[in-house]
Amino acid sequence: MPLSHVAFLILSAVALISGGLVVTRRNPVRAALWLIVALFSVAGIYLLVKAEFLFAVQIILYVGGIMVLFLFVLMLVNVNVSVRQAPFNRQWRVALATALLLLAELAYGFWRGAAPRLKALAPVAAPSHPLGNTQAVGMALYQNYLLPVELVSLLLLVAMVGAVIMAKRRFD
Amino acid sequence: MIPTQWFLLLSVGLLVIGILGVLLRRNVLVMLMSIELMLNAANINLVAFSQLWHAVTGQVFAVFVIADAAAEAVVGLALIVALFRNKETVNADEMDLLKW
Amino acid sequence: MLQTYGPLLIFAAIAAIFPLATLWAAKFLRPRFTPTGDKTIPYECGIAPESDARGRYTVRYYVVALLFVIFDVETIFLFPWAVQFRALGLFGLVEMLVFLGILAIGYVWLWKRGAFEWV
Repeated sequence: MPLSHVAFLILSAVALISGGLVVTRRNPVRAALWLIVALFSVAGIYLLVKAEFLFAVQIILYVGGIMVLFLFVLMLVNVNVSVRQAPFNRQWRVALATALLLLAELAYGFWRGAAPRLKALAPVAAPSHPLGNTQAVGMALYQNYLLPVELVSLLLLVAMVGAVIMAKRRFD
Repeated sequence: MIPTQWFLLLSVGLLVIGILGVLLRRNVLVMLMSIELMLNAANINLVAFSQLWHAVTGQVFAVFVIADAAAEAVVGLALIVALFRNKETVNADEMDLLKW
Repeated sequence: MLQTYGPLLIFAAIAAIFPLATLWAAKFLRPRFTPTGDKTIPYECGIAPESDARGRYTVRYYVVALLFVIFDVETIFLFPWAVQFRALGLFGLVEMLVFLGILAIGYVWLWKRGAFEWV
Protein backbone atom coordinates (compact mmCIF):
# COMPACT_ATOMS: atom_id res chain seq x y z
CA MET A 1 0.00 0.00 0.00
CA PRO A 2 1.50 3.38 -0.97
CA LEU A 3 2.33 5.83 1.77
CA SER A 4 -0.29 8.34 0.57
CA HIS A 5 -3.02 5.72 1.05
CA VAL A 6 -1.85 5.05 4.62
CA ALA A 7 -1.83 8.81 5.28
CA PHE A 8 -5.35 9.12 3.87
CA LEU A 9 -6.66 6.31 6.09
CA ILE A 10 -5.07 7.82 9.21
CA LEU A 11 -6.36 11.31 8.41
CA SER A 12 -9.88 10.13 7.66
CA ALA A 13 -9.99 8.05 10.84
CA VAL A 14 -8.93 11.13 12.83
CA ALA A 15 -11.55 13.25 11.02
CA LEU A 16 -14.37 10.78 11.70
CA ILE A 17 -13.45 10.16 15.35
CA SER A 18 -13.04 13.84 16.18
CA GLY A 19 -16.25 14.60 14.27
CA GLY A 20 -18.04 12.10 16.49
CA LEU A 21 -16.51 13.71 19.57
CA VAL A 22 -17.77 17.15 18.41
CA VAL A 23 -21.31 15.80 18.50
CA THR A 24 -21.02 13.92 21.79
CA ARG A 25 -18.96 16.23 24.03
CA ARG A 26 -21.05 17.90 26.72
CA ASN A 27 -18.84 20.98 27.02
CA PRO A 28 -19.17 23.15 23.88
CA VAL A 29 -15.58 24.41 24.23
CA ARG A 30 -14.31 20.84 23.96
CA ALA A 31 -16.60 20.29 20.96
CA ALA A 32 -15.02 23.35 19.31
CA LEU A 33 -11.51 22.06 20.02
CA TRP A 34 -12.36 18.64 18.54
CA LEU A 35 -13.81 20.40 15.51
CA ILE A 36 -10.43 22.10 15.08
CA VAL A 37 -8.78 18.64 15.04
CA ALA A 38 -11.29 17.46 12.42
CA LEU A 39 -10.67 20.56 10.28
CA PHE A 40 -6.92 20.03 10.50
CA SER A 41 -7.22 16.45 9.27
CA VAL A 42 -9.46 17.54 6.40
CA ALA A 43 -6.75 20.09 5.57
CA GLY A 44 -4.26 17.20 5.51
CA ILE A 45 -6.50 15.39 3.01
CA TYR A 46 -6.46 18.52 0.80
CA LEU A 47 -2.68 18.42 0.90
CA LEU A 48 -2.73 14.74 -0.12
CA VAL A 49 -4.64 15.52 -3.33
CA LYS A 50 -2.24 18.40 -4.03
CA ALA A 51 -4.80 21.12 -3.37
CA GLU A 52 -2.27 23.34 -1.61
CA PHE A 53 -4.28 26.54 -1.91
CA LEU A 54 -7.29 24.93 -0.32
CA PHE A 55 -5.07 23.54 2.44
CA ALA A 56 -3.87 27.05 3.28
CA VAL A 57 -7.41 28.46 3.09
CA GLN A 58 -8.69 25.74 5.40
CA ILE A 59 -6.09 26.51 8.04
CA ILE A 60 -6.09 30.31 7.75
CA LEU A 61 -9.81 30.85 7.37
CA TYR A 62 -11.45 27.90 9.09
CA VAL A 63 -9.12 27.25 11.98
CA GLY A 64 -7.68 30.75 12.30
CA GLY A 65 -10.84 32.72 11.63
CA ILE A 66 -14.09 30.84 12.07
CA MET A 67 -13.08 28.61 14.97
CA VAL A 68 -11.55 31.50 16.91
CA LEU A 69 -14.85 33.32 16.41
CA PHE A 70 -16.71 30.29 17.77
CA LEU A 71 -14.51 30.29 20.87
CA PHE A 72 -15.08 34.05 21.30
CA VAL A 73 -18.84 33.59 21.26
CA LEU A 74 -18.53 30.60 23.60
CA MET A 75 -16.82 32.95 26.06
CA LEU A 76 -19.64 35.47 25.70
CA VAL A 77 -22.40 32.97 26.45
CA ASN A 78 -22.35 30.93 29.59
CA VAL A 79 -20.38 27.73 29.21
CA ASN A 80 -20.82 26.63 32.82
CA VAL A 81 -24.59 26.42 32.46
CA SER A 82 -24.56 24.26 29.36
CA VAL A 83 -22.15 21.81 31.00
CA ARG A 84 -24.78 21.09 33.63
CA GLN A 85 -27.69 20.82 31.19
CA ALA A 86 -28.69 17.79 29.14
CA PRO A 87 -26.70 17.91 25.89
CA PHE A 88 -29.24 16.06 23.75
CA ASN A 89 -32.88 16.83 23.12
CA ARG A 90 -35.78 14.48 23.66
CA GLN A 91 -36.22 13.43 20.04
CA TRP A 92 -33.04 11.42 19.96
CA ARG A 93 -34.75 8.21 18.81
CA VAL A 94 -36.33 9.89 15.78
CA ALA A 95 -33.08 11.72 15.04
CA LEU A 96 -31.01 8.56 15.21
CA ALA A 97 -33.48 6.66 13.02
CA THR A 98 -33.49 9.46 10.42
CA ALA A 99 -29.72 9.66 10.32
CA LEU A 100 -29.35 5.89 10.03
CA LEU A 101 -31.94 5.83 7.24
CA LEU A 102 -29.97 8.51 5.39
CA LEU A 103 -26.76 6.56 5.97
CA ALA A 104 -28.37 3.40 4.54
CA GLU A 105 -29.67 5.34 1.56
CA LEU A 106 -26.30 6.90 0.80
CA ALA A 107 -24.51 3.56 1.28
CA TYR A 108 -26.93 1.90 -1.15
CA GLY A 109 -26.37 4.69 -3.66
CA PHE A 110 -22.63 4.28 -3.27
CA TRP A 111 -22.74 0.50 -3.59
CA ARG A 112 -25.09 0.37 -6.60
CA GLY A 113 -24.32 3.67 -8.32
CA ALA A 114 -21.06 5.45 -7.58
CA ALA A 115 -18.69 2.55 -6.91
CA PRO A 116 -19.35 0.48 -10.11
CA ARG A 117 -19.35 3.58 -12.29
CA LEU A 118 -16.08 4.82 -10.84
CA LYS A 119 -14.59 1.36 -11.36
CA ALA A 120 -15.67 1.34 -15.03
CA LEU A 121 -14.20 4.80 -15.62
CA ALA A 122 -11.10 5.00 -17.80
CA PRO A 123 -8.26 6.90 -16.09
CA VAL A 124 -8.13 10.54 -17.14
CA ALA A 125 -4.80 11.73 -18.50
CA ALA A 126 -3.05 14.43 -16.52
CA PRO A 127 -2.38 17.69 -18.39
CA SER A 128 1.09 17.82 -19.90
CA HIS A 129 2.04 21.28 -18.62
CA PRO A 130 0.22 21.71 -15.33
CA LEU A 131 0.19 25.07 -13.63
CA GLY A 132 0.99 25.35 -9.95
CA ASN A 133 -2.10 24.85 -7.80
CA THR A 134 -2.59 28.44 -6.66
CA GLN A 135 -1.95 29.70 -10.18
CA ALA A 136 -4.49 27.28 -11.63
CA VAL A 137 -7.07 28.28 -9.01
CA GLY A 138 -6.38 31.95 -9.75
CA MET A 139 -6.87 31.51 -13.49
CA ALA A 140 -10.08 29.52 -13.02
CA LEU A 141 -11.46 31.96 -10.43
CA TYR A 142 -10.83 35.15 -12.36
CA GLN A 143 -11.45 33.94 -15.91
CA ASN A 144 -14.18 31.29 -15.80
CA TYR A 145 -15.93 32.25 -12.57
CA LEU A 146 -16.08 36.03 -12.82
CA LEU A 147 -19.69 36.44 -11.74
CA PRO A 148 -19.53 34.05 -8.76
CA VAL A 149 -16.50 35.96 -7.45
CA GLU A 150 -18.36 39.26 -7.61
CA LEU A 151 -21.36 37.60 -5.98
CA VAL A 152 -19.12 36.46 -3.13
CA SER A 153 -18.27 40.09 -2.40
CA LEU A 154 -21.99 40.90 -2.39
CA LEU A 155 -22.61 37.98 -0.02
CA LEU A 156 -19.86 39.24 2.26
CA LEU A 157 -21.38 42.75 2.19
CA VAL A 158 -24.77 41.36 3.23
CA ALA A 159 -23.17 39.21 5.94
CA MET A 160 -21.27 42.24 7.26
CA VAL A 161 -24.38 44.42 7.46
CA GLY A 162 -26.48 41.62 8.91
CA ALA A 163 -23.91 40.74 11.57
CA VAL A 164 -23.51 44.34 12.76
CA ILE A 165 -27.25 45.01 12.86
CA MET A 166 -27.88 41.75 14.71
CA ALA A 167 -25.04 42.22 17.15
CA LYS A 168 -25.81 45.80 18.12
CA ARG A 169 -29.55 45.77 18.69
CA ARG A 170 -31.92 44.48 21.32
CA PHE A 171 -35.30 43.37 20.09
CA ASP A 172 -37.95 43.64 22.80
CA MET B 1 -3.68 8.29 -6.71
CA ILE B 2 -6.04 7.65 -3.81
CA PRO B 3 -9.27 5.92 -4.97
CA THR B 4 -12.19 8.33 -5.28
CA GLN B 5 -14.47 5.78 -3.56
CA TRP B 6 -12.59 6.32 -0.28
CA PHE B 7 -13.27 10.04 -0.42
CA LEU B 8 -16.96 9.38 -1.02
CA LEU B 9 -17.17 7.05 1.99
CA LEU B 10 -15.38 9.57 4.23
CA SER B 11 -17.71 12.35 3.15
CA VAL B 12 -20.78 10.17 3.75
CA GLY B 13 -19.50 9.51 7.26
CA LEU B 14 -18.83 13.17 8.02
CA LEU B 15 -22.21 14.22 6.58
CA VAL B 16 -24.14 11.73 8.73
CA ILE B 17 -22.19 12.79 11.84
CA GLY B 18 -23.02 16.42 11.06
CA ILE B 19 -26.70 15.66 10.56
CA LEU B 20 -26.76 13.73 13.84
CA GLY B 21 -25.23 16.74 15.55
CA VAL B 22 -27.86 19.13 14.19
CA LEU B 23 -30.73 16.79 15.06
CA LEU B 24 -29.53 15.66 18.48
CA ARG B 25 -27.88 18.59 20.22
CA ARG B 26 -29.68 21.32 22.11
CA ASN B 27 -26.86 23.87 22.09
CA VAL B 28 -27.16 26.12 19.03
CA LEU B 29 -23.41 26.65 18.88
CA VAL B 30 -22.74 22.91 18.60
CA MET B 31 -25.43 22.75 15.90
CA LEU B 32 -23.52 25.41 13.93
CA MET B 33 -20.32 23.41 14.39
CA SER B 34 -22.08 20.33 12.99
CA ILE B 35 -23.09 22.39 9.95
CA GLU B 36 -19.41 23.18 9.46
CA LEU B 37 -18.71 19.43 9.52
CA MET B 38 -21.31 18.87 6.78
CA LEU B 39 -19.82 21.64 4.64
CA ASN B 40 -16.43 19.95 5.00
CA ALA B 41 -17.96 16.67 3.83
CA ALA B 42 -19.19 18.43 0.69
CA ASN B 43 -15.76 19.98 0.15
CA ILE B 44 -14.06 16.57 0.37
CA ASN B 45 -16.31 15.36 -2.46
CA LEU B 46 -15.52 18.39 -4.61
CA VAL B 47 -11.79 17.97 -4.07
CA ALA B 48 -11.94 14.21 -4.78
CA PHE B 49 -13.55 14.76 -8.18
CA SER B 50 -11.15 17.60 -8.90
CA GLN B 51 -8.36 15.05 -8.38
CA LEU B 52 -10.14 12.44 -10.53
CA TRP B 53 -10.61 14.72 -13.55
CA HIS B 54 -7.33 16.62 -13.10
CA ALA B 55 -9.40 19.79 -13.22
CA VAL B 56 -9.20 22.62 -10.74
CA THR B 57 -12.94 23.45 -10.90
CA GLY B 58 -13.81 21.40 -7.84
CA GLN B 59 -11.24 23.26 -5.78
CA VAL B 60 -12.63 26.60 -6.97
CA PHE B 61 -16.07 25.55 -5.79
CA ALA B 62 -14.59 24.40 -2.49
CA VAL B 63 -13.17 27.92 -2.04
CA PHE B 64 -16.66 29.31 -2.65
CA VAL B 65 -18.10 26.89 -0.10
CA ILE B 66 -15.53 28.00 2.48
CA ALA B 67 -16.36 31.69 1.81
CA ASP B 68 -20.01 30.81 2.26
CA ALA B 69 -19.26 28.97 5.49
CA ALA B 70 -17.49 32.05 6.81
CA ALA B 71 -20.45 34.31 6.00
CA GLU B 72 -22.83 31.78 7.56
CA ALA B 73 -20.75 31.51 10.72
CA VAL B 74 -20.53 35.31 11.10
CA VAL B 75 -24.27 35.88 10.74
CA GLY B 76 -25.14 32.78 12.75
CA LEU B 77 -22.92 33.74 15.66
CA ALA B 78 -24.23 37.34 15.65
CA LEU B 79 -27.76 35.91 15.80
CA ILE B 80 -26.80 33.62 18.68
CA VAL B 81 -25.34 36.54 20.63
CA ALA B 82 -28.49 38.60 19.99
CA LEU B 83 -30.68 35.71 21.13
CA PHE B 84 -28.56 35.15 24.22
CA ARG B 85 -28.86 38.83 25.16
CA ASN B 86 -32.63 38.64 24.98
CA LYS B 87 -33.45 35.16 26.20
CA GLU B 88 -30.37 34.18 28.27
CA THR B 89 -30.19 30.76 26.67
CA VAL B 90 -28.33 29.01 23.86
CA ASN B 91 -30.61 25.97 23.74
CA ALA B 92 -32.59 25.49 20.56
CA ASP B 93 -35.63 23.98 22.30
CA GLU B 94 -36.01 26.97 24.61
CA MET B 95 -36.22 29.45 21.74
CA ASP B 96 -39.93 28.97 21.16
CA LEU B 97 -41.34 32.48 20.69
CA LEU B 98 -42.88 31.53 17.35
CA LYS B 99 -44.34 28.26 18.68
CA TRP B 100 -47.99 28.25 19.46
CA MET C 1 4.51 14.11 -2.98
CA LEU C 2 6.80 12.79 -0.28
CA GLN C 3 9.80 14.65 -1.70
CA THR C 4 7.88 17.93 -1.52
CA TYR C 5 6.24 17.56 1.86
CA GLY C 6 8.69 15.22 3.58
CA PRO C 7 10.48 18.15 5.29
CA LEU C 8 7.09 19.47 6.44
CA LEU C 9 6.28 16.08 7.95
CA ILE C 10 9.65 15.97 9.74
CA PHE C 11 9.08 19.52 10.99
CA ALA C 12 5.64 18.58 12.35
CA ALA C 13 7.06 15.45 14.00
CA ILE C 14 9.86 17.43 15.72
CA ALA C 15 7.39 20.11 16.79
CA ALA C 16 5.21 17.44 18.39
CA ILE C 17 8.06 15.49 19.98
CA PHE C 18 10.02 18.44 21.40
CA PRO C 19 7.52 19.62 24.07
CA LEU C 20 6.65 16.04 25.03
CA ALA C 21 10.34 15.11 25.39
CA THR C 22 11.01 18.27 27.39
CA LEU C 23 8.18 17.53 29.81
CA TRP C 24 9.27 13.91 30.10
CA ALA C 25 12.91 14.85 30.76
CA ALA C 26 11.87 17.50 33.30
CA LYS C 27 10.23 14.74 35.34
CA PHE C 28 13.68 13.35 36.16
CA LEU C 29 15.35 16.70 36.80
CA ARG C 30 12.89 18.46 39.10
CA PRO C 31 12.69 17.79 42.83
CA ARG C 32 10.05 15.28 43.80
CA PHE C 33 7.23 16.49 46.04
CA THR C 34 3.47 16.91 45.83
CA PRO C 35 2.33 20.58 45.96
CA THR C 36 0.02 21.52 48.81
CA GLY C 37 -1.67 24.65 50.15
CA ASP C 38 -0.59 27.91 48.53
CA LYS C 39 1.45 26.06 45.91
CA THR C 40 -1.72 24.85 44.17
CA ILE C 41 -3.38 28.27 43.60
CA PRO C 42 -2.83 29.95 40.19
CA TYR C 43 -0.75 32.89 41.49
CA GLU C 44 1.37 31.67 44.36
CA CYS C 45 2.35 35.13 45.61
CA GLY C 46 -0.21 37.42 44.00
CA ILE C 47 -3.85 38.37 44.39
CA ALA C 48 -6.02 35.44 45.41
CA PRO C 49 -8.38 34.41 42.57
CA GLU C 50 -11.97 35.48 43.18
CA SER C 51 -13.88 33.07 40.96
CA ASP C 52 -13.63 30.24 38.48
CA ALA C 53 -11.96 31.05 35.16
CA ARG C 54 -14.67 29.29 33.16
CA GLY C 55 -17.47 31.82 33.59
CA ARG C 56 -18.70 34.49 31.17
CA TYR C 57 -16.33 37.04 29.73
CA THR C 58 -17.36 40.36 28.28
CA VAL C 59 -15.43 40.20 25.03
CA ARG C 60 -16.22 43.76 24.02
CA TYR C 61 -14.46 43.68 20.66
CA TYR C 62 -16.31 40.63 19.37
CA VAL C 63 -17.99 42.66 16.61
CA VAL C 64 -14.51 43.43 15.32
CA ALA C 65 -13.80 39.69 15.43
CA LEU C 66 -16.95 39.04 13.36
CA LEU C 67 -15.85 41.61 10.79
CA PHE C 68 -12.30 40.25 10.78
CA VAL C 69 -13.54 36.94 9.38
CA ILE C 70 -15.35 38.77 6.56
CA PHE C 71 -12.20 40.65 5.56
CA ASP C 72 -10.22 37.43 5.97
CA VAL C 73 -12.32 35.94 3.17
CA GLU C 74 -11.57 39.02 1.08
CA THR C 75 -7.83 38.43 1.54
CA ILE C 76 -8.24 34.78 0.53
CA PHE C 77 -9.75 35.95 -2.76
CA LEU C 78 -6.99 38.55 -3.26
CA PHE C 79 -4.22 35.98 -3.03
CA PRO C 80 -4.80 33.87 -6.21
CA TRP C 81 -5.37 37.10 -8.14
CA ALA C 82 -2.06 38.50 -6.94
CA VAL C 83 -0.26 35.29 -7.96
CA GLN C 84 -1.65 35.53 -11.51
CA PHE C 85 -1.58 39.34 -11.71
CA ARG C 86 0.45 39.50 -14.93
CA ALA C 87 -1.47 36.78 -16.75
CA LEU C 88 -4.85 38.30 -15.90
CA GLY C 89 -3.86 41.80 -16.95
CA LEU C 90 -6.19 44.79 -17.01
CA PHE C 91 -9.33 42.62 -17.04
CA GLY C 92 -8.35 41.00 -13.77
CA LEU C 93 -7.48 44.37 -12.25
CA VAL C 94 -10.90 45.85 -13.09
CA GLU C 95 -12.58 42.71 -11.80
CA MET C 96 -10.72 42.93 -8.53
CA LEU C 97 -11.47 46.65 -8.21
CA VAL C 98 -15.19 45.89 -8.52
CA PHE C 99 -14.79 43.17 -5.87
CA LEU C 100 -12.97 45.52 -3.53
CA GLY C 101 -15.37 48.39 -4.34
CA ILE C 102 -18.40 46.43 -3.16
CA LEU C 103 -16.62 45.58 0.08
CA ALA C 104 -15.42 49.18 0.47
CA ILE C 105 -19.06 50.32 0.48
CA GLY C 106 -19.61 47.99 3.40
CA TYR C 107 -16.48 49.27 5.12
CA VAL C 108 -17.61 52.92 4.83
CA TRP C 109 -21.04 51.97 6.16
CA LEU C 110 -19.46 50.14 9.10
CA TRP C 111 -17.28 53.15 9.90
CA LYS C 112 -20.24 55.56 9.76
CA ARG C 113 -22.35 53.31 11.95
CA GLY C 114 -19.56 53.10 14.50
CA ALA C 115 -19.07 49.35 14.38
CA PHE C 116 -15.39 49.82 15.16
CA GLU C 117 -16.04 51.89 18.30
CA TRP C 118 -15.31 50.45 21.73
CA VAL C 119 -18.66 49.56 23.25
